[in-house]
Amino acid sequence: MAAIGDEDSITGLLLAGIGHIDSHQRKNFLVVDAKTPLAAVEDAFNEFTKRKDIAIILINQHIAEEIRPLIDEHDQAFPTILEIPSKDHPYDPEKDSVLKRVRRLFGE
Amino acid sequence: MEALFFNADDGYIEAIVRGYRSSILNNTSYINLTQCETLEDVKLQLAASDYGTLLQNESHLSTSMLAQKCLDKLVQEFEYIRAHAVAPLSQFLDYMTYAYMIDNVILLITGTLHERDTHELLDRCHPLGVFDSMPALCVATNVAELYNSVLVETPLAPYFKDCLSAEDLDEMNIEIIRNTLYKAYLEDFYYFSQSFGGPTAEIMSELLQFEADRRSLNITINSFGTELTKDDRAKLFPSIGRLYPEGNLKLAKSDDIDQVKATCDVFLEYRQFFDGSSSTGASKTLEDRFFEYEVHLNKKSFQQQFHYALFYSFLKLKEQEIRNIVWISECISQGQKERINNYIPIF
Amino acid sequence: MSGTSNRLAVFPTRMTLSVMKQKLKGAQTGHSLLKRKSEALTKRFRDIVKKIDDAKRLMGKVMQVASFSLAEVTYITGDIGYQVQESVKNAQFRVRAKQENVSGVMLPAFESYQEGTNANELTGLGRGGQQVQRCKETYIKAVETLVELASLQTAFVILDEVIKLTNRRVNAIEHIIIPRYENTIKFILSELDEQDREEFFRLKKVQGKKKEAAARDTLERESRQAAEGKKVREGGATESVNPSLPQPSDLLGGDDEDVIF
Repeated sequence: MAAIGDEDSITGLLLAGIGHIDSHQRKNFLVVDAKTPLAAVEDAFNEFTKRKDIAIILINQHIAEEIRPLIDEHDQAFPTILEIPSKDHPYDPEKDSVLKRVRRLFGE
Repeated sequence: MEALFFNADDGYIEAIVRGYRSSILNNTSYINLTQCETLEDVKLQLAASDYGTLLQNESHLSTSMLAQKCLDKLVQEFEYIRAHAVAPLSQFLDYMTYAYMIDNVILLITGTLHERDTHELLDRCHPLGVFDSMPALCVATNVAELYNSVLVETPLAPYFKDCLSAEDLDEMNIEIIRNTLYKAYLEDFYYFSQSFGGPTAEIMSELLQFEADRRSLNITINSFGTELTKDDRAKLFPSIGRLYPEGNLKLAKSDDIDQVKATCDVFLEYRQFFDGSSSTGASKTLEDRFFEYEVHLNKKSFQQQFHYALFYSFLKLKEQEIRNIVWISECISQGQKERINNYIPIF
Repeated sequence: MSGTSNRLAVFPTRMTLSVMKQKLKGAQTGHSLLKRKSEALTKRFRDIVKKIDDAKRLMGKVMQVASFSLAEVTYITGDIGYQVQESVKNAQFRVRAKQENVSGVMLPAFESYQEGTNANELTGLGRGGQQVQRCKETYIKAVETLVELASLQTAFVILDEVIKLTNRRVNAIEHIIIPRYENTIKFILSELDEQDREEFFRLKKVQGKKKEAAARDTLERESRQAAEGKKVREGGATESVNPSLPQPSDLLGGDDEDVIF
C-alpha cells in the first residue's frame, strides 16, 4: 500500500502500520503540505503506480483534485486508487473519479 | 524578606502575568464555544476574548491553523515576560523552556538518525524550546557529532552527559531517550526550584512532584505489553515524586492496571484517578483526570503571591487552554458533538 | 436489404448448408450463454456499485472518526507526526491479493494482514500512550475498511471492462454473426431451391424428350412392325439393339446439367 496525503492523514495511516521503507530507501508515502510542489506529487503518484509491490494507493481527496487528470488517466485495475477524505476536507462523493464513472454508467 | 524585595525585581512581570491570567477563557466562554456550529462561529466567539485580533485576518479556518495562532500568541506572551525578567527569574523561565527543548532535540536526533535534512525540522520545533544555537545542531551529520554539539551548544548538556553516551543515541529507542532526559530535567528543575525556598519551593515541589508521578504512572501503564523491561521501566521514573521511593518500586513491578491502582490507593489525591474508571472506555480517561488535577494545582498557585511558580502555572494553564480550544474546534469541525464537553475548564 | 450482401462467400451446397446450420446453432448457444454471463456480471456489477457507493460514504465517516482519534492524541500528547514518520521501517499492515471467480472472470480481492512488530509501541510513553494505541487501532480499522473498498473498486474497474467486452461480443453475435449465418443459409436455400427447380425442369424436359423419343420409338416400331409385320419371323435380333440407343444420350445430358451450372 502507498499513501499520499496531508500530515495528519499520513500520521494516522502510518500508525496503522502501512508505512514501509524498502532497501533503496524509497518510502511508500508522501506528506503533502502547502509547500510541496505539484510536480513532486505527480512524480510520487507516477512512481507508486509503476511499482509492483503496491496494490492500493491512498490519496487525500483535495490532493487528488490537484492531479485529477493523472488519476482519470489511470484506468488499470492495479494499483487501485482510493480517494480518502482528510481532516480538514470532508469527503465529497461528487468529485471522486470512480464515483463519477458510476454516475455516468447509470446515466445520471 | 521575599515580599520585601520581590517587587523590586519581579513585581512588574508578576502583575503582567496576573493580567494575562484574567484573559484565560472562563466557563461561560467555553459554554458559548461548545454551542458553536461551525468554525466561523468559534472565530466569532473568540473575537470577544483575548484571541480576537489573531483570527481577524484569516479567511480559511482550520483547527491546525487555530492551534498555531493560539500557540503563537502564547509564545509571544512568554517571550515578553522572558525579555523583562531578571535573574534569578530569568533562569527559572529558562528552566521552563527546557522541557520543550528536550522535545526539539529529540526531534533533531530522530531526523539525524534517519539522515534527513534537519534544517527543515527547525520549523517543526516547538517555538518555546528554540534556543539560539539550535541551527548549529543541524550541521551535525551523524549521531556522534550531534551528541557533541548538544553538549557544547545547548543548556541540556548536563542531562545528556549524565544519562547518555553517544552510542546510546544510536541504539536506544528514541522514546526511552526522551523519557530519560525528561527524568533528569524534572529532577534538576525540582532541586533548582527548591533552592529558592519559601512559597516558590513549596508550590513548585507540589507541581513537579505531580508531574513526576504522572510520568511514572503513565510510563508504567503504557509499558504494559511492550518490550520495555521492568528494570528499564524503573530507570525512567523520576525520583522526586510523592510515589518515590516505595510507590515507584511497586510500579516498577506492576503487571497490570490493578496493581497500579493499589499502589496509588495510599495517596489520597491519586486514588481518585482510578475511581470508577478503567483506563479505557470510560467517558473520562486517566489522562483527562491527570489534566484536571494539574489544572487544579496550577490554579492554586495563583492564590499565593511573591513566588515564581506562578509563571510555570500560567504557562501550563495557557497550554491547557489551547488544548481546550483546539479540542472544541476539532469536535465542531468533525461533527463529534457528543464528546465536546471533554475539555477541562480552567476558571 | 443489406442482408443480401451480408453473407459468407460460400458455395451453396447441401454440405455447406448443414455446416452453416451447425454454425448458426453454435452462435445461438454462444449468444445465449454470453448473454447470461453478461447478465450475471451486470448483476454483480450493480451489487458492487451499490456497495461502493455505500462504502465510500461509510469511509467518509470512518476516516472522520479516525482523524478524530488522532485529534485526541494531539490533545494529550502533542504533535507526533514527525516521530511517527521517522520511525517507519517495515510495513506492518500489508495486503495480499486473492482471486475470486465470478462467471469466469477473475476478480482480485485484497486481504489485509498484520506482520512484524509494532514500530510505534513506545510512542507517547511519557504521556498519551494509551491514546496513541487506541488511535492506532482506530486507524487499523479504518484502513481495513479502505482495503475492502479498494477490492470493491478494483472489482468495479475489472468488471466494467469485462462487461463491456462481453456486451460487445453479445452484440456482435446478435447483430452481425447470427444475421450473417441466417443470410447465408437463406441464400443457400434459395440457391438450392433454384437448383431444384432447374433440375426439376430439366428432368421434365428430359422426360418430355424421353416421352417424345419413346413415342417416336413406338411409332417407328409400330410402323416398322406394321411394315415388317410380314417378316416377323426373321427380325428378332434387331429389336434388342434399338431401345438401347437413347440411354447414353441421357447420361450425357445429366452430366451437362452439372457442368452448366
